[in-house]
Amino acid sequence: MTDYDPEKGYIAILGWSLNAIDAVDRFDRRYIVVAPPWAEDYCKQNDIPYMAWDFDRLNERSYELATKLKDEGVDVAIPLFEETVEWAGAVNSVLLKNPRLLGQSMLFRDKSLMKRRAQLGGIRVGVFEEAHDRGDVIRFLVRVNQTLLKLDGDPNDPIHFKAFDKSGTAGHRVIRTPEDVDNIPDEEFPALLESHLDGWEFAVEAWIKDRKIEFLNISEYVTLGYSVFVPATPELEKHRARITEEIEKLIEAFDIDFGFIHPEYFLTNDNKLYFGEVAYRPPGFNALELIERAYGFNGYQGMVLMFDPKATREEIDAFFPEEVKDAKGHAGCFGVYPRRRVVSRLEIPEATRDHPYFEYHQLSEPMEQKVTKRTAFGTHWGLAYFFGEDPHRLRDLLKAQEELDFYV
Amino acid sequence: MAEDAPDAARLAGTLDVALQRLEQARRFNKHRYQMPVLDVVSRLIQVPGGLEVLRERAPALDAAGLFWGSDWEAPATLLPQLVGQTLSSDDRTLVALEVANLLRFLAIAQGRATNPNLHAEHARHFLTQVLALNLRHFFAGNSEADRQEANPGLRQNVFRFVAEHVGLEDVLGVLVDEIWRILEQRPVQSAPVKEMITQMAIAMTRQGLDAGAERLGVERLVSALFGPTTECRDDPGVAVYLGRLGHLDEAGLHREAQGFARAMHDTGLVSDYHAAFLRWVAPIAEVELVPEALGLGPTGKDCWRRWRGLAVDLIDAAVSEWTPQAAYGLAMLLERGILHLPPLAPALRRQMSMQLTPGTAQRLALAFGDAVAPETRLLAGVLEVLGQPLGVGQGANPTCQSARAISMWALNDPDYLLNLIAQAGEFDSVLMHFEGQPINSADLPAGLALSAPIDADPVSVVLVPHLDRIYAEMGRLCAPRGGEPHRWVNPEFHGWWVSRACLVAVDVGTGRLAEFDTFLTRFFKSYDPRFNGGRPLIHPQPAGIAVTDSAARFVGWHAIAILRVAEDQHGDMRIYFYNPNNDSGQDWGGGVVVSTSGFGERHGEASLPIEQFCARLYLFHDDPVRPPGIGAPVPEDIRARVHQMAVESWAAERLPEDGVVLAGSTDRAAPG
Repeated sequence: MTDYDPEKGYIAILGWSLNAIDAVDRFDRRYIVVAPPWAEDYCKQNDIPYMAWDFDRLNERSYELATKLKDEGVDVAIPLFEETVEWAGAVNSVLLKNPRLLGQSMLFRDKSLMKRRAQLGGIRVGVFEEAHDRGDVIRFLVRVNQTLLKLDGDPNDPIHFKAFDKSGTAGHRVIRTPEDVDNIPDEEFPALLESHLDGWEFAVEAWIKDRKIEFLNISEYVTLGYSVFVPATPELEKHRARITEEIEKLIEAFDIDFGFIHPEYFLTNDNKLYFGEVAYRPPGFNALELIERAYGFNGYQGMVLMFDPKATREEIDAFFPEEVKDAKGHAGCFGVYPRRRVVSRLEIPEATRDHPYFEYHQLSEPMEQKVTKRTAFGTHWGLAYFFGEDPHRLRDLLKAQEELDFYV
Repeated sequence: MAEDAPDAARLAGTLDVALQRLEQARRFNKHRYQMPVLDVVSRLIQVPGGLEVLRERAPALDAAGLFWGSDWEAPATLLPQLVGQTLSSDDRTLVALEVANLLRFLAIAQGRATNPNLHAEHARHFLTQVLALNLRHFFAGNSEADRQEANPGLRQNVFRFVAEHVGLEDVLGVLVDEIWRILEQRPVQSAPVKEMITQMAIAMTRQGLDAGAERLGVERLVSALFGPTTECRDDPGVAVYLGRLGHLDEAGLHREAQGFARAMHDTGLVSDYHAAFLRWVAPIAEVELVPEALGLGPTGKDCWRRWRGLAVDLIDAAVSEWTPQAAYGLAMLLERGILHLPPLAPALRRQMSMQLTPGTAQRLALAFGDAVAPETRLLAGVLEVLGQPLGVGQGANPTCQSARAISMWALNDPDYLLNLIAQAGEFDSVLMHFEGQPINSADLPAGLALSAPIDADPVSVVLVPHLDRIYAEMGRLCAPRGGEPHRWVNPEFHGWWVSRACLVAVDVGTGRLAEFDTFLTRFFKSYDPRFNGGRPLIHPQPAGIAVTDSAARFVGWHAIAILRVAEDQHGDMRIYFYNPNNDSGQDWGGGVVVSTSGFGERHGEASLPIEQFCARLYLFHDDPVRPPGIGAPVPEDIRARVHQMAVESWAAERLPEDGVVLAGSTDRAAPG
C-alpha cells in the first residue's frame, strides 16, 4: 500500500484471501487485513497492513474486535468468507452504530433461518426442512417421494442436503438413496434439506448501495459444480427484469442497506423463479474473476465501494459499466475432476487446447495417482478458463468438457 | 476477438490478457497469475510464429514478474549448461519458463530491454554458451534420445530462433573455447566433444563461414580429428589413406607418425586415420614407428622396449576405427610406467582373453552399439581408464562414489581394478568384503542408480552397477551404528590406503556445523605441507564436498578425491583434486571457481586455493596417529577466513545453534 486517499474510507477485510488483498491493495483506499496469527509473517514480509485475529474463538469477543478496529480508525469491515460474515455484522453494528446489522448477518449464516425469512418476505422457495441427524434425512427423502406418488422400487427423486454453515457448494450433497445418507459425515449436521427442483439454476451477484442495486450480474450454470459463465445467454437474460424484482424483494426481506449479495435461483419449467439461498460475501468458483474478464472491473473493489460509507455517488457511477451491453464477451470456467479412477499425468485434451475460446488453465500435475470418488460439489482439481463472443457456443463448449479427460 | 486469426495471433491476444493480469497483481500475488501466462506461453512455443510473439513480449513478461519467486529471478546466476536439459523436460511449465527466459536474455542482449541484475554483455555471453552447448540440437537430425522427448522439434526450433538473432560466428568462438577447456581435462568419454567438432565442421561447410579468428580455432580442432597429417589433410577416407601409406618412404612415414602424435597430445583426441596408421605400422619390425606415433617420452619408450609384444597385441586387439581413443589410452599407459608393476602385464593378457557374459556384453552393446565386439570395446576402455585415470566421469548418473573409486584404483591400484573388471565381465558379479563379511553384488538390489548407466565409459558401464550396489549395501550395514557411514565404508570399499580416521564438519543428526575448528585444524595439519612437516600426500584420499551453486547456495553432497597439495606458480597453496563430475570446471559461488588449467593442474585435475577448498569441504580422512610435535601450528586467521566463507555459503543455515533439525542432514542426502 503506497498511496491512498485520506478523504475516503478506511476498510478492514475479514479473512485471508490473496486475491482480495491484491485487489484492495491496488485500490485507492487505506485498508487493513484482519486474519489469523499464522498470516503475520507473510504480511510483514510483503508490507501488508495486518491485525491478528482468531475467528475460531467465540463470538463473545466480537465487541473487542470492533473496539480494536474503531481505535484503529477503521470505517467499515468487509467479510470475505462465510465464517466471517457474522463477525463483520457484529463489527459493523458498532462501527456504523447500527445494531440491526448483527441480527441481519445471523440470517445469512443459518440456511434454515435464511429460507424462512425469505418465505416470510413473500419470496417463493421450495419444500425444505432442517435435519439434525440421518433419521431426519431419510424421513424427508421418503416423504418427498411419497408426495410425488412414487411406488416402492421406483427410483427416488433426489433431495439436496446443505450443511448449515458451509459456503457455496462445499457442503452440498445430492441424496438419492439411504446409502447416500450413510455417507454424510457427522460434522455436516445440522443441515438444510430441500426438494429437488427441475429447471435452470443460476446465481446472481449484486452490488448494493443505499438499498439500490448498482450492478447485477447473472451467472449461468451449465452444470452445477462444474461450469459457469457470465454474462448469461439471452434466453436467461430476458428474465433480468423479473430477477431484479426478486433481488429487490431480498433487499426488503433482509433489510440490506449496502453490501454485496450472492443468491441462487431456479427457473422451473413452468417459468417460476424459486429462491435457493443467499450469501453476504464474495462467491466461490472465481465468479468475480469471470466478471472482471467480461466487464473489466474488479469485483472486490466494487465491494469496497458498496461498504465504504464515504464513497461518493460519482465514483460509484464511474466504476460500474452497463450490464450485458458493456461486456467484451462471455467468460466461463470449468472445474476439472478426473474421470478415470487412476491417473498419471495432466494432458489438456486436444479439442480444448486448440479451441479459440480456450484461454488457460490452473491445473497442476496429479498429486496422487488414485482418484477418490467425488463426494460433494466444488471439489474440482482446478479450473480451465474460456472466453468468447457467442454465449451458446461457450455454453456448449463448457458442457462438452464434461466428456473429456484432462487427466490420463 | 481474433477468432479466425492464425493461432499465433489469437494466442498472442490470450497472452496479453494473462500478461495484463500478471502485471497488475501485487508482488505477493504474482504466483497466482504466473501459471496462466506460462500455460499460454507453452502453447505459443508450438505454433508457427509463436516464438516471434514471445520475443516481442519478453521484456514485458520479465517486467510483469513472470520470473519472481523462481530460480530464474536472479538471471545472473543461471547456468547455460542446464538450459538444454530443461527444454527437454516433460514439465511444460518449466519448458515455457526456460523459453521465456532465453527470449528475455535475447531482448537484453539486443538492447531492447534492461534488467538491473543482468548486463547486455552477460546476456549475450550466456546465449552463445547455450547455443554452443546445444549445437548438436540445431544442425543435425535428432538423436534417438531426442526423439523420445515430449516435443522433439521444440528444442531445435528454439535454438535456431535464438541463433538467428544472436549470430553464429559468436557461437563458434565460444564453442571453441569451451571445447578446449573440456579437452584440457582429457575426458575418457570423448564422444560428445567429437560430436561437437563434427557438428562445427558441418556447420562451417554449410554456412560457408569465413570469419577469421573463429575459423582458425575451429580448424585446429577439426583437423585434429579429420586430417592431422599431410597424407590425410584432405580427409580422403581410411581405405584411400592406407593405399597412400604403401607409397611413402621412411621419412614420409616418420612425418606421418609425428603429425599424429602432435595432434593427439595437443588435443587428447585420436583421429580415425591415426588408429588405421597404428594398425598398419605395428607389425612392421624393421622400422620402429609406434613409439613415434604414440609420441612417447623416455618412460613410455622404456616400457615399449620392455613390453613391445604385449603393446603390439594390445594395438591389434583394442585400437580400431571405432575405438581410436584406445591409442591415447595406450600411450598414456606406457608413459605412466605402470606396466612395470609385476601383475599388470599378465592381467592385461587375461583381459585380452576374456569372454564376457551375455548380460555384460548386452550392456556394452546397448551403450556403444555393435560395430566392434564388446570385448574390444571393454579392452579399449580399460586402456583409456588406465592411461587417463582422472578422465573417468560419472555421466548423468548419481554414482559419484563409483566413478571416483574406478578413478582411484586406476591411479593407485590398477591390478585390483583389472581384477574387479574380470569378475564383473566373466561372472556378472563382484565380490567385496566389509569388515570380513562377504558382499556379493549379484545378491543385492539396485543401488543409487536404479538402472545400469550406459552414458559412461566402457569400464564404468561394466562395473558401476556392481559397485553401486555394494556401496549401498555397505552403507546399509552401517546404518544402525549412527554417525557418518563413510567413516567405515570408504576404507573398506576402496582399500587399506584410505586413512582410517574420518572427520565430518557437521553433526550427522542435526545437519549443523559441529567442531568446525577442530575439523579445519586437523585438515591443515594432515594435508598442508606448511603445517604437516612438509610431507606430501601419498595415496589419493576420498573426501566430501558440500557443492554450492554459482550463488553459493547449497546444492548437495558430492564425492571427490584429493590428489596432491602443492604451491602453484604464484606461490599459493592449492589442493589438486579429482571430481568424478564430467566437467570439473564449476562456479561454486562466493568467488570459489574451480580451475582445471592454468594453475599447475595436470590433465583431469581440478584445483582450488586450499582455503577456498576447505570452505566447501565437509568430510575427509586422516591418519589416526601422527608423530608428535611435527609441523607448524595452524594460524587462527586461516581458520577464521575459511569459517567465514563456509557460513556464507553451504553452512549458512547450519550454524551450530539449538533449533529445529534441518532437512537434508548428511545421513539423508545421498552423495551424487
